[in-house]
Amino acid sequence: MSRLWRTGLAGVVLAGFLTACGGGSEEAQVRDNTQEVLDYYAAHPELFQFRTPADLPADLAWEDGMDLPDLGSPDAQKGGTQYGSIPDYPRTLRTVGPDSNGAFRPWLLDDVTLPLAHLHPDREFEFYPALATEWAVDEDTATVYARLDPDATWSDGVPITTDDFMFMFFFHRSEYIVAPWYNNYYDTTFSNITKYDDHTLSVTMKTNKPDFRYHILDLRPEPQHHYKELGDDFVERYQWRFTPTTGPYVIEEGDLVQGRSVTLTRLDNWWAKDKKFFRNRYNVDRVVLNVIRDTNNVFESFKRGDIDQFGLNLAEHWYEKLPNDDPDVANGYIHKSVFYNQRPRPNYGLWMNTSRPLLDNQDVRTGLQYATNWDLVIESFFRGDFSRMNTTSDGYGEFSHPDLRARPFDIDMAQQHFAAAGFANRGPDGILVNEQGQRLAFTITTGYESLRDILTILREEAAKAGVEYRIEVLDQTASWQKVQEKQHDIGFVALGVGVEMYPRFWDTMHSDNAYDDAFLDDGSINPERQLKVQTNNMESLANFELDQMIDVYTESSDAEEMLALSHQMLEFHHNYASFVPGFVQDFYRIGYWRWVKYPEFFNHRTPSLATELHVHWIDTELKEQTLAARAAGETFEPQIRVFDQYRVQ
Amino acid sequence: MLALNPETLKKLRRFRQIKRGYYSFLALMFLVFLFVIGELLINNRALIVSYEGELYFPTYTAFHPGTDFGLPYSYETNYRELKARFAEQGSDNWVLLPLVPYSANENHSTTGIFRPEPPSPEYQHYLGTDTTSRDILARLFYGTRTALFFAIAFTAAVYFIGIAIGAAMGYFGGMFDLLFQRVIEIWSNVPFLYMVIIIFSVIPDTFSIFFRIMVLLSVMVLFSWTSMTYFMRTETYKQKARDYVASARIIGASNTRIIFRHILPNVLATLVTFMPFTVIAAITAITALDFLGFGLPPPTPSLGELLKQGTSNLRTAPWIVMSAFGTLVVLLTLVTFIGEAIRESFDPKKFTVYK
Repeated sequence: MSRLWRTGLAGVVLAGFLTACGGGSEEAQVRDNTQEVLDYYAAHPELFQFRTPADLPADLAWEDGMDLPDLGSPDAQKGGTQYGSIPDYPRTLRTVGPDSNGAFRPWLLDDVTLPLAHLHPDREFEFYPALATEWAVDEDTATVYARLDPDATWSDGVPITTDDFMFMFFFHRSEYIVAPWYNNYYDTTFSNITKYDDHTLSVTMKTNKPDFRYHILDLRPEPQHHYKELGDDFVERYQWRFTPTTGPYVIEEGDLVQGRSVTLTRLDNWWAKDKKFFRNRYNVDRVVLNVIRDTNNVFESFKRGDIDQFGLNLAEHWYEKLPNDDPDVANGYIHKSVFYNQRPRPNYGLWMNTSRPLLDNQDVRTGLQYATNWDLVIESFFRGDFSRMNTTSDGYGEFSHPDLRARPFDIDMAQQHFAAAGFANRGPDGILVNEQGQRLAFTITTGYESLRDILTILREEAAKAGVEYRIEVLDQTASWQKVQEKQHDIGFVALGVGVEMYPRFWDTMHSDNAYDDAFLDDGSINPERQLKVQTNNMESLANFELDQMIDVYTESSDAEEMLALSHQMLEFHHNYASFVPGFVQDFYRIGYWRWVKYPEFFNHRTPSLATELHVHWIDTELKEQTLAARAAGETFEPQIRVFDQYRVQ
Repeated sequence: MLALNPETLKKLRRFRQIKRGYYSFLALMFLVFLFVIGELLINNRALIVSYEGELYFPTYTAFHPGTDFGLPYSYETNYRELKARFAEQGSDNWVLLPLVPYSANENHSTTGIFRPEPPSPEYQHYLGTDTTSRDILARLFYGTRTALFFAIAFTAAVYFIGIAIGAAMGYFGGMFDLLFQRVIEIWSNVPFLYMVIIIFSVIPDTFSIFFRIMVLLSVMVLFSWTSMTYFMRTETYKQKARDYVASARIIGASNTRIIFRHILPNVLATLVTFMPFTVIAAITAITALDFLGFGLPPPTPSLGELLKQGTSNLRTAPWIVMSAFGTLVVLLTLVTFIGEAIRESFDPKKFTVYK
């Protein structure tokens, strides 16, 4: 006994000693960058300006978006625990810097934090207030003025002020964060931030694009008090520190189980919980996310009731693994819903590298358009649920082309075009050859392991038209690299797109991104031009006239002019035929246990996922009741619902 | 006729007496025979077409466009449809199709939707179809053919190189042994996967699938023979000190003769036990590389691909995994039985028991 006590005492003494030591060295490491930040502001007087409320222009028209409809459902109940999964344990809790752009980031940033104002998901480019209570737009100077909500606080209780927005610029422009994309974006997009008082600010954009207000109102502040120790060791120092958030969910001490799970907790006294556009959202008290790597295992967990919801977008899941006559569905324990949304679509399709032999021939490209049977893929593989993509930029409202249609599968048309390109006869294996004995064969490179079956279908069908598609499935990074290095014949790739007002053309179609000095001054082709690598111009598309159009489009601030140009460029691109448009998924499908509730209208218009806006809630009583009923063999009315209020016919 | 020496004949007789191994051998040989004539059994091309009084044998020839048989298209004839069309017309034309009238790559759905369909003799999908409605029997057959021939070639090559070098190291010893051990140590530290990746990145993708398989085979052999040498070396060391080797040397036998005629049969027991593992290693390696995208390009049928499909559709399409798994079990059991019989019949110590 006494020995135990003595050991214990020794332990305490030792611990005290260590603490004393640690305290000393810790203090030496604590940094305070307040002065550094102020110096930075002083060194960039153009960007950071300090004025008084009296300097505000008098004729500003303030908007507050309060007349827009509510989000979510007034029936929503707070409470409960939601169980979900993540494919990998997060590699960091930082929201910027290396490894921060992972599958966990929506929980830390995208879906939960608040900008000045949000795009209303049911309206065309109208905003509802978040951190700002009201804002005013000056079209001429591309400036947005905003008044911050005085109630707004960080999750650790510190008030959110204009200083956090000033600091946001310092933070995102600094080299410490090792995030070149942010450095570049904040450096090239905005020209000024002005502080009028603690809750009034204005931000100015460099060019007044029609959607400049979106870029400004979407700004999300960074907590200056949290980043006092910002320095060269930012990446390691902040690796596992939870950043105070403007949103409702925090990670509490002990809720990170390394390699196993992450749990988020809703703030009881979140500052925005009673605000008009947030009161019916973020309803779940605790969100438990377990690491489950394999999709099949996620599905099995869902089927057992360990996970509340599961995305059923793939036909395989919707029709085969969880069919409507599955006992859990037929007995009403699991509900299934299809929701048609409206947003720009990722452009799945075949991107031809026109710098390659044969693919530089217009007739070959047009022939390939007719030889690629996307219609069969959509009909048989996707079971007619998806629809055909028509241009690279579908889903941008009126900026998308109203009546361009992708070319259908047509063997005769394909052969006409191939014959025009010199491929008139079939070889012994049925593939067309030209007079030099060259076969009409191309390699399709992709990183989508799960979509390889699509390519095998295209391959079988293309053989009928006399083309051989060789399929190369690489891992995601390797295939992306190959396409970025312009080493591909044809890439099967899609570029992800957010909700934006109008499509981008410069990235994918401008000669700047295809060759170094593509054209001489008179517009003729520069004979010494070299392919430019590491750009998104996956077609190596370089056309002098198209360049002119893109330049005007990029500089333009006239929506009418941009609209006309957008249509013209899409027409050009259609005729150039270097992109075979693939498929569009204009809905999402989800299966969820009976205790997960959604509003009557299910969801809002633009999100790509049912959970993005957090309008669902967990009914804990219903959960107990359902589990008991399932054990006892009682059944409920099955619920398989289709929400097509936003479907575009 | 090849004259075999009486000793060998005796061994072969003994091999025949070991029924389990012998029948396994016959079964495997039968399988190999089936694989060789595979195109006549499982193929979407007809065996014989009789059209307008003329006979066509399309199996091994250049493709016949539909126009050859009065069809309105210029791509390869669909012989199943042709047969149905002839039957409908009631003409003298006829088509003889193989047992399984599907190729490994074509999507043939009975419903218009590409999904796994259960086995159905009615549609001649005897093992059902996979997730994109391709015939599983056809894919299994051609996938196994590749894997088996690959494994046989791989095992033969690895054993040949490994035995020759390992035995030489053990037999000659001294400087030769020392030197080669170092070489092997260095060689076996070259990362195999990177080599495959590097080599495959410089092979143009226009090369045929057969050529890619041969390259894969050479690379794998190049990096796999080393482990065999360790066993051979130690075993040879052991046997070399035995009296029978000394006797052979006194009689005047050459080194080659002593190694291959005297020592090798005595160490065969060890080698043969490794054989099934080598075969498995070859099959799994080709599967794994396939998975990483450095094996055979899709839609080449492979056991690995079928297994993967099977495990991810365990509940909804159990027939996929059953056929792939069943094939692997049968194949490896046969190889094991044969190996066991070879060991027993070639072992000079007649009364050892394999346990």
